[in-house]
Amino acid sequence: MSRPFPYTYISCPCADTPVPDPARKRRSRESPQKSPQKPPTGRVDTDQDKKLSVKEEQQGEDEDEEQTFDPRSPRSNFSLYPPEQLLYCEECHQIKCPRCITEEIVSWYCPSCLFETPSSMVRGDGNRCGRNCFNCPVCTAPLAVSTIENATGNGPQQGPWVLSCGYCLWTTLDIGIKFDKPTNIRSQLQKMTDSTPPATHDRSRQASRNFGDLKHPLSSFASVDEQSSARERDGEQAAPKDDPAAPPMGTDARFAALKNFYRTQIAETSNSPNDHLSSEFGFSSPGALNRLMSLYTSSSRLSGLYGGSKKPKSKPPVMREALTASEGLQVALENNETDMIARLQSPECGWDGMASIDQRATQSPDARFVDDLLPLPVLLRTKRAKRCKSCKHILVKPESKPQSTRFRIRLIALSYIPLPTLRPLAPSSSSALPAMAPTSDLNSLPPLRPIHVLLTLKNHMFDPVRITLATPPVTPGHVATKVTVLSPQFEIGANSDVWDEALQGASAPLTSDSRSAALRGVPEAGKVWDKGRNWTTVVLEVVPGTLPGSSAEGGDGNPNTETNDEDILAVAASKQDEDVLEIPVFVHMDWDADAQLDQQNVGKGSKPDDKVTRELAYWMVLGVGRIQASL
Amino acid sequence: MSSDTPSMGASKRASATSGLRNSQTARPVSPHTPQARSGNPSFASSTSPSSSFRSEDDAIIFEIGARWLRAGFEGSSAPVCVVGFGPEDSRRVGDYRGWIQGSTGAGRLPQSVDMDEWTRVYELWRPDSREVDLGLVEDKIERAFRETYNQFLLTDAGTSRLVLVLPSLMPHPLLSSLLSTLFSRWRFPSVTLLSSATMSATAAGLRSALVVDIGWAETTATAIYEYREMTTKRTTRSMKHLMQEMGLLLTGLASDGSQDPDTANRISVGFAYCEEVVSRFAWCKPQAKKDTSSDELNRKLSIPSPANPEEEYMEVPFSHLAEPAEKVLFAPGVEEHELDDEEKSLPLLVYNSLLSLCPDARGTCMSRIVFVGGGSRIPGLRRRVLKEVSLLIDRHGWSPIRGKALERQRQRLEELRLSARKASSPPETPKSNGEAPSTNDEPADPSKEVPEIDFVEQKLRRQNKDIPVPIQGVLREVESLGPWAGASLTTSLKIRGMVEIEREKFLQHGLAGATRDIDHPVPDRRSGLRSGGDRSSWTLAGWA
Repeated sequence: MSRPFPYTYISCPCADTPVPDPARKRRSRESPQKSPQKPPTGRVDTDQDKKLSVKEEQQGEDEDEEQTFDPRSPRSNFSLYPPEQLLYCEECHQIKCPRCITEEIVSWYCPSCLFETPSSMVRGDGNRCGRNCFNCPVCTAPLAVSTIENATGNGPQQGPWVLSCGYCLWTTLDIGIKFDKPTNIRSQLQKMTDSTPPATHDRSRQASRNFGDLKHPLSSFASVDEQSSARERDGEQAAPKDDPAAPPMGTDARFAALKNFYRTQIAETSNSPNDHLSSEFGFSSPGALNRLMSLYTSSSRLSGLYGGSKKPKSKPPVMREALTASEGLQVALENNETDMIARLQSPECGWDGMASIDQRATQSPDARFVDDLLPLPVLLRTKRAKRCKSCKHILVKPESKPQSTRFRIRLIALSYIPLPTLRPLAPSSSSALPAMAPTSDLNSLPPLRPIHVLLTLKNHMFDPVRITLATPPVTPGHVATKVTVLSPQFEIGANSDVWDEALQGASAPLTSDSRSAALRGVPEAGKVWDKGRNWTTVVLEVVPGTLPGSSAEGGDGNPNTETNDEDILAVAASKQDEDVLEIPVFVHMDWDADAQLDQQNVGKGSKPDDKVTRELAYWMVLGVGRIQASL
Repeated sequence: MSSDTPSMGASKRASATSGLRNSQTARPVSPHTPQARSGNPSFASSTSPSSSFRSEDDAIIFEIGARWLRAGFEGSSAPVCVVGFGPEDSRRVGDYRGWIQGSTGAGRLPQSVDMDEWTRVYELWRPDSREVDLGLVEDKIERAFRETYNQFLLTDAGTSRLVLVLPSLMPHPLLSSLLSTLFSRWRFPSVTLLSSATMSATAAGLRSALVVDIGWAETTATAIYEYREMTTKRTTRSMKHLMQEMGLLLTGLASDGSQDPDTANRISVGFAYCEEVVSRFAWCKPQAKKDTSSDELNRKLSIPSPANPEEEYMEVPFSHLAEPAEKVLFAPGVEEHELDDEEKSLPLLVYNSLLSLCPDARGTCMSRIVFVGGGSRIPGLRRRVLKEVSLLIDRHGWSPIRGKALERQRQRLEELRLSARKASSPPETPKSNGEAPSTNDEPADPSKEVPEIDFVEQKLRRQNKDIPVPIQGVLREVESLGPWAGASLTTSLKIRGMVEIEREKFLQHGLAGATRDIDHPVPDRRSGLRSGGDRSSWTLAGWA
């Protein structure tokens, strides 16, 4: 599939525990919904359907172990991991995949310049590098700072600077941007992009300053109404003047204008002083005093006394909508779209003049043409510590320095579970069985011809492990492949110091291959194929099934034969990996571990010699190869 | 849907059915002393909840649709990232085929695929939850969120408040899956739900709007009046169909039109390639009329050939690329009565939703039409919709009554009137003849009518001279920054959502724990004494 054959995947046991939906039980009690998980392709045959409904009934009970893991179900893609990517929690004694850990960020750094960014600056920089690291907006290659005169061989300190891409030869000159200094490009760029449409920018600036004054918490509340109304009148007058001609504001400017507008609106419409957003301003300011005064003067009885010319307002000011461009309103322009269509049509635009979806994803939402793309500051990366989700035990803790690749703590699962490796058993020349297919090419396994594969489990623990393997006799899915583990129960020796092995019998592992090929000859049921210091190899006999719709589909009792034509069509159309032969194997391992202190205290399950039996069970998927379409 | 409606600021209007509760609450205006809160200092400041109790991190806003996920921090104008859902995102860990062979769907498919199958893998969910494998959706959501946090947001997941922008109509199983995934996977203290239509209106600076969301599975037109959702009408004419239509068009181009009938609805070009074409060159003729200048028609455009997009280019008439949008979204040549209720064309959808409003709201909404969603990016589309809507208004006015009987009756009336006029004043006939149909058939078209100002109105106007008269009764389109930006605005103003689901409560009962009572009083956060009872319950408001 993804990796070259043969490969192994391990399914994290967390897949067996569905997301606990507190309402689900209740819902199912109210109305037993019938298999919402039924794949709509209609390729589920009846007994699988039955299984599904059974599964649903048993959801919540712990009978999940009874089910066969199906590597083909779309959900299994989310629980299968290459063995080396899994972690192991020593507290829970369980495999941990990225789904059952929580992560905490240790440090932020730029992958390009490897500078660590302090956490306080990360958000301000928009999660991107604040220095000179940029990626090409067209091809995402890193951009280099270079001078325009560089090509002519002048001094390097000369002239305007540009960012240029070494891969696709894009430069910032293409969008008309030059830099004065070779340093601090990010802020230079920021300034330039902010002011590209100068008129707009000035206007919005001014507007926001206006708003800033207005919404200033110290401005008196009694007068806010008059002020705002005055401003509104101004706005009214100003609006018709600048609206039609004004180029549309940028997203940022508009957003800022809208935000200011809503702020002032909220400030204006909330009358009670204490309710004001900025309640942290006490009564110490003149504005507040004013507010207090107006509170009393506006009272109906006293208003006459204090010469309050203002009548008490009968209704609260109502929040209104944005009315002018400076408040963030933007009425769609008439010719905006026709212009764009004309530009689309124009020969100089063409396919490559338009930004692709990938290019646009990281740009401002308005970007549509390649000319709109700006150099992208490099996205920061993080170093993260990982904890077990259930017990908060730290599983991984990297060193915070970006340059260092070391880990303080790293509990990878392979130190605890045996590493599975798979290889085909090459038919030895001495025992040329007629039934054996040549297994040289795993990418085209002939159907219905038995092959043998060797599964080696290598133990990394310092305790010997007892293993029980189990496979479904027939793989799930449409291609019914028969699988037999010839010796399902075996032991793997303890891992010991490598030097021990080297000193004891250095030649043993080296010769084992040749020995097995030459001496063992025929794999036998119930016998371990080969065994070393901390590894054991067993043989799996596999009879690949026939692909649905292939010429080799025979009537040898396969459930395949029952599938109708429609099914086959659907399968052929939808499943591209139908021909991949993957074997789910259930691994159960137990071993006697040194009891830890806490368990000794509890005394639970501890053997007299301070040993505790631990067990671990998980599903593993062996990718053997691809089945040929026909014989 | 009128329940899930937000109200903000307008203290008079902050009713229980509003979707947003304000941090400041309705108060009497005229003289008042600060109410007896001084005895309870800890609650005195609780009106601005986030500032005083703890310095809270910025909330994180996620907008989730069937195809895309947008995420970012409150207060920023655009999301940090936009992540799509596709087959590449459902691969196993360590499966790098997408990188080795180029992403799926870029090249030509080995065999043609049914239209529905073609799009299915690219969707997170579909509106029909019977067809959705909820477990798979949970898996995808979990992975998408995790990767978004790790790659783009760069904060610890689950530490800060989460705001979800969702369409106001979500199947409950889906909503429940989504929430339980988030709550059980991470330790989000609370999740706030905001409706995307209302947020789009907010991001346009409006309080009332007709939000036309041209989305993936369906196009919705939601009329919002003072932040309340009044009506929602939907049609299945949407981007998904547009994509399929474009796929068919490109398939046709690839096979040079030699299609046999049984593969008529099968697509053989890659989805990603087709999406590129749609995003780059799908356009829409601004006019319905066919006879655009021949120069435009003949103009060719070279796009990567659908038969072999990686290597060859192919000349395609530019006008061809307008056909899918035209066919899917406007249904030209199909009579209105032949369309099902669920597949009205876009102009009809807009017109019908305006028609179903009461005249006041209609007048307000029709001059505040907001287009959002993926389809709103198609150049020419919005103008075309508005044009056709105004044609519809010209033709039918605001009367839902159609049909031949009406026509006959109108003619009879007309004749009656004409004959009466003829009898009385023959010289005026030609003039009144021309006007007659428009004056007596329907209760005048508000967009045409010159507003007649009566004396009450005049007085009112004089009184509140400061308050500008809102534009009303003309078709007008307003640009919005989109639902994500709206949510970012709203959240950064510390306006709290009506639907705020707290972790513990959700984990106890799930969605079933929500109060069914839509008119459930908004928990009054100021009164510390009563809050005990109020806090124990939460509501799903419009999502219930």
